[in-house]
Amino acid sequence: MREKAAAFVANNQRFIPLLATAALACAAYLLGAILYPGMRDPQVFFNILSSNSYLLISAVGMTLVILSGGIDLSVSGVVALTTVATAALLRGGTNPWLVVLLMFLMGMALGAIMGGFIAYMKVQPFIATLAGLWFARGMCFFISDDAIAIHHPFFRILALTRLLIPGLSDPATQRGDFITILTVISFLVLGIVALVAQYTKFGRSIYAIGGDEQSARLMGLAVPTTKVLVYTLNGFCSALAGIVLAAFVASGHGLYASGFELRAIAAVVMGGTSLVGGSGYVLGTFFGVLILGITQTLIQFNGNLSSWWTNIVIGLLTFVFIAVQSVLAARRRRRRRVEGMPSAAAAPTARRRRPWPVVAGAILGLAAVVLFLVPRLQPGGAASLGTAESEHCSLKPFRQDVADSMVSGGAVVVYERNGGARCIDEVYAIYPDGLVVGDNGVDRIEVAATVDAVGELLTSIRDFGWFTPEMYDTWHDPCGQCYGYYVTVTDQGETKTIRGVNGGTDAPADYWQVISLIKAMVPPFEVGP
Amino acid sequence: MAGTDARHLWRKATESKLFFPLTLLGFILLIDSILVPGFFSFQARGWNLYGSLIDILRNASTIMLLAIGMTLVIATGGVDLSVGAVMAIAASVAALLMNPYVLAKELPPHLMRLINDPNFTFQPLWVVIGVTLLVALLCGLWNGMLVAYVRIQPMVATLILMIAGRGIAQLITNGVRIQIFYEPYAYIGQGWLVLPFSLYLVAITYALTWLLTRRTAIGMFIESVGINARASYFSGISEKRIKMLAYVICALCAGLAGLVASANVKTSDANNIGLTYELDAILAVVIGGTVLGAGGRFSLLGSLLGAIVMQAVTTSMYALGVPAFALQAIKGMAVIVVILLYSEQARSFLRNLGTKTEAGP
Repeated sequence: MREKAAAFVANNQRFIPLLATAALACAAYLLGAILYPGMRDPQVFFNILSSNSYLLISAVGMTLVILSGGIDLSVSGVVALTTVATAALLRGGTNPWLVVLLMFLMGMALGAIMGGFIAYMKVQPFIATLAGLWFARGMCFFISDDAIAIHHPFFRILALTRLLIPGLSDPATQRGDFITILTVISFLVLGIVALVAQYTKFGRSIYAIGGDEQSARLMGLAVPTTKVLVYTLNGFCSALAGIVLAAFVASGHGLYASGFELRAIAAVVMGGTSLVGGSGYVLGTFFGVLILGITQTLIQFNGNLSSWWTNIVIGLLTFVFIAVQSVLAARRRRRRRVEGMPSAAAAPTARRRRPWPVVAGAILGLAAVVLFLVPRLQPGGAASLGTAESEHCSLKPFRQDVADSMVSGGAVVVYERNGGARCIDEVYAIYPDGLVVGDNGVDRIEVAATVDAVGELLTSIRDFGWFTPEMYDTWHDPCGQCYGYYVTVTDQGETKTIRGVNGGTDAPADYWQVISLIKAMVPPFEVGP
Repeated sequence: MAGTDARHLWRKATESKLFFPLTLLGFILLIDSILVPGFFSFQARGWNLYGSLIDILRNASTIMLLAIGMTLVIATGGVDLSVGAVMAIAASVAALLMNPYVLAKELPPHLMRLINDPNFTFQPLWVVIGVTLLVALLCGLWNGMLVAYVRIQPMVATLILMIAGRGIAQLITNGVRIQIFYEPYAYIGQGWLVLPFSLYLVAITYALTWLLTRRTAIGMFIESVGINARASYFSGISEKRIKMLAYVICALCAGLAGLVASANVKTSDANNIGLTYELDAILAVVIGGTVLGAGGRFSLLGSLLGAIVMQAVTTSMYALGVPAFALQAIKGMAVIVVILLYSEQARSFLRNLGTKTEAGP
């Protein structure tokens, strides 16, 4: 029996990195569940899947590109271009199915062109896709400078339909835990691509090319064709990710998804795929995405950590995974040298990996995350966010009418924030004579500031570029337990409203500067028991 | 005889690394001279010179600094994606050293006054610059360690700092965009001494790097490591140290570029300083004739020309009234054209052109 088990382990050693990644994802989730009771709600997990569905789709496509030994930096550009083009076409009244089809064609065409340059003209993948990134981002602004909202019912259904989970929900009242159609789409893509990579000639060719392109060519594989197909497929994935993102945020903008390609690459690396190409699994990418999503959620739930910790932790995790990969590769090389085996003759099945470096790496990564997080855990932050009773609070829509009436009543700044663990909804108005009025639906408070302070505030807001296109809307709903902000500013005859969510990392930095300026002016409400 | 000379000259010119960047630059300036009136005029205010050409040089200075360091890294067969993030880190460190009070919420009035004082600095300027460059050096050591000793692919190794770097830069300033009021610091980016002051920094950096690589054996070592790291190792070159040196110089250049960029806009904006500059720097090097990915022979002067070409395109597009977003799309297409021009096919075509004129009657 023990022999059988040992043989089983020996035969399946190549799956160990995959298992290590999965274990790390589970450990990160457990850590969250222990620290923050709020995270034990299964819906939080389903929200991670839903809000990262576009990342999963794109990372799956990226996995194939990286397996083939290439890289695709253009994904964020193609994703942004798809959101803008989708929004613009829908605004023009085009049939949504036609829009989706056109977007797929556009993504695939862009991918095929870049693949063509890489496969036939021998342009470095890095340079060719970089050119693609710039081109796509530039094209976004030919279509529209501003964010375009999507109101089409097709996209609303796509984003808002709740597929209730049997056992965790009550079908009669339509309440309970749910996933969205977007999650289902991303899982379909994951499943199909994983099967294609493992069981088709095309998939095996990708592995062969990534392992050793020269050998693949000598074996008679169609190297250029496969490469073009890989980039075309990734173009398709980018377009699909763009459509999912557009549905998720119900709008399109050329500035969306900036730096997205790095997150996709990080997810692939964390999934155990070697960046040199030729080894790794599509399924691993799912766990990579999960680790990214859980990291972000942990940081949101902590409440005391600023958004930039996401980047630092992602960088750190990427480093740990890459270091483990390179240590593994070095050990393999050494063993081959010892066994006197020429490296080219090593078939993939002959690769033997010791689990210890991987396990050690995983533990190290986890330890690093804990070390980074624990000193910043303050009892106040964790307790207020994580009480078990706290209802899951979704952000309320902006009360445009209230803000409008306040602006017509002479207010120069209207500031509304809602959400958080206590589901607050507060509206503040600042008047030019220094009067500051706050209303949280129950109480109403007033304080007086000086006229000069209000003037100074308005000047600073203008200096931060409030009335320029540099300030734009960002919105994620649902976002977990976070606050939504809506700010309307009227100054010198110009009025502009910008909304943002404090969990989102994509709002302009100056937006948070303005929020903090206003926060300093408005009086806080006494927090009731 | 004259024909042979002409053919010889033509071959020599087309095979030179500087031929393509110079041709491109000439072409761009030719278009400007036709379409933009007064493009080549200079104005003198006092001793200082102003004009479109000076503008191009001044705006290109950060990319030129980055390109100098990047050339060495690319010559060792690597690439450094983290330079933009290192610029942001450098800007944050410098701003914090000059005025840490900006971050405080409540301050006694006598300190509050110092925040906007153009003559106040917490640390003297040389400490600010020294410490900033030291931090950049650390970034370089980190990259070099990963590439040379841990043996991670350069693109991947530097990607880590590229992702984490902006987070670190924001961490340093606690997410605040610090305004810089100290005037002597602003001089680094905005000062004018007949020519813009930043150009002198570029010139000094170029001269030092040139001396280091062309007057010592280090340049040859870098080329040999880029061509064949293993062979270099066997011939007694410490391949790891050479790689480490290249990444450290690159990060130092990035730190300097961060100082210039933040002094120019008088803020430390961790989100935007040096954003996508790594790509511009790599392209400048590629336009300058150093081959990406292969390593080996490099041309510092070519990279400087490449940086000027990139900026000349940008400036002339603005002068022609092309909107900024269109520029990005055009840049994307231009990159592909340039890369194709550099391909072996294009070069051999030009060589054949020279041969044919000679063979004719």
